[in-house]
Amino acid sequence: MTQMRLHLTFPEERVREPIVYEICRNFPVVVNIRRADISEDSGWMELEMDGELADLERTVAYLRDRGVVVAPIEKSILEG
Amino acid sequence: MNRPSAPHRESDSTRGENVANASAGSKIKGLKCRECGRLYPAVAMHICEFCFGPLEVDYDYEAIAGRLSRRSIEEGPKSLWRYHELLPVTGAPTVGLHAGMTPLVHAKRLGKLLGLDNLYLKNDTVNHPTLSFKDRVVAVAMTRARELGFDTVACASTGNLANSVSAHAASVGMKCFVFIPHDLEAGKILGNLIYHPTVVAVRGNYDDVNRLCSEIGGEYPWAFVNINIRPYYAEGSKSLAFETAEQLGWRVPDQVVVPIASGSLLTKIWKGFQEFSKLGIVSSNPSLRVNGAQAEGCSPVYRAFVSGKNHLVPVKPNTIAKSLAIGNPADGFYSLDVVFKSKGAIAAATDPEIVEGMKLLAETEGIFAETAGGVTVASLKKLCEEGRIGRSDLTVAYITGNGLKTMEALTGALPEPVAIDASLSSFRKNVNPSN
Repeated sequence: MTQMRLHLTFPEERVREPIVYEICRNFPVVVNIRRADISEDSGWMELEMDGELADLERTVAYLRDRGVVVAPIEKSILEG
Repeated sequence: MNRPSAPHRESDSTRGENVANASAGSKIKGLKCRECGRLYPAVAMHICEFCFGPLEVDYDYEAIAGRLSRRSIEEGPKSLWRYHELLPVTGAPTVGLHAGMTPLVHAKRLGKLLGLDNLYLKNDTVNHPTLSFKDRVVAVAMTRARELGFDTVACASTGNLANSVSAHAASVGMKCFVFIPHDLEAGKILGNLIYHPTVVAVRGNYDDVNRLCSEIGGEYPWAFVNINIRPYYAEGSKSLAFETAEQLGWRVPDQVVVPIASGSLLTKIWKGFQEFSKLGIVSSNPSLRVNGAQAEGCSPVYRAFVSGKNHLVPVKPNTIAKSLAIGNPADGFYSLDVVFKSKGAIAAATDPEIVEGMKLLAETEGIFAETAGGVTVASLKKLCEEGRIGRSDLTVAYITGNGLKTMEALTGALPEPVAIDASLSSFRKNVNPSN
């Protein structure tokens, strides 16, 4: 099993969609939301996901395909 | 649990520390979650295990107040370490002994052009040893890392941070790993290679580099300065506020203008002024306004400010100001909060405006700043034009890196030399002596 800690940012067009439900239904991963702030037109969520590495990577790819910005919990690490 | 992809696990990232030493300093109580307030020992960790909020150093201000005074500061070394009491290290500094105490320049000629009578520039283009403000944060991060028992330091950077980490590691013989995207221009890494770190060029885009570094930060017993050492690293930026206040004759300015990349610099400058006020080193200045400066091509904090929201939308950076090109800034929300709280503002500069800002600074004050300095000057100009900074306001703008690092930004932007034959007649014909 592998664990990822992620920061997700939801664009306005996705903020009303049940995306966490979708990933739990479509992929064998365990999602644990730790912190979130969602408003009418934007939002973010910090969560940990447990599962097999390949499943986690497919989940991340799915989220990105759906327009969600997926970053490690530290967000941008690469600095100038 | 097998965790090859775990972006971050504190139990691993704290390896190599000397925990007894970590909690021994009488001024550091530990680390505290900025969101839920949970307390942790002062070890190498950066995220709250409970809510994933960022951790900050928790100081014992009562103990510090008993030892800190203007006099004790003035008797200290001519470096940022004169503020040792308010920096998160427990023993004597061991890395970056000459960082900080850069000039605070009274910018009369630039001020006159902008309509400001009291404009000052904090000139970190001459910071030691690598000519940017990163020498401050790295000096503090690496001193703390050594206290915690690390012998290896790492960072992910395309510029100033890599320079500073590589140079400081070389100066004390620490092993050093620098991660860069594989397609970074060769010239960008030469300034690192001279210090002989291990430079790892990662095949993939910026997101891939971020993710890999997050994983490595959790897997290897290294001091990753802006991951597991981040709470200490970030505190080094407070020294910019401390020096500003001291160099102004123990005063807090009315307005500051600070470039925003991760947002940490802005929040720590604010914190530095707050700490000095709280400890009675300076009188508090309730009218202090903290203003931000971003490059328009990477301006998630500016956009949130303009829209009046506290949610940041990450962006793909597209600007010549590479040192500010952080599309998903870790402290973006907190920097926005400081700007709102202090009734400041944020301005953004286009690439041509950045170049004009660099030229204006050089032509009026003789300071050659990198593109981030151009962002700051261009944004300062806009804030003045918008009437957000008044003529008599005591204003300080932070110039954070040297222009020699971003020469490519000026290609085609400067006049050609006047070419003449080696004769007096050719000189008279081609050169106007009244220029």
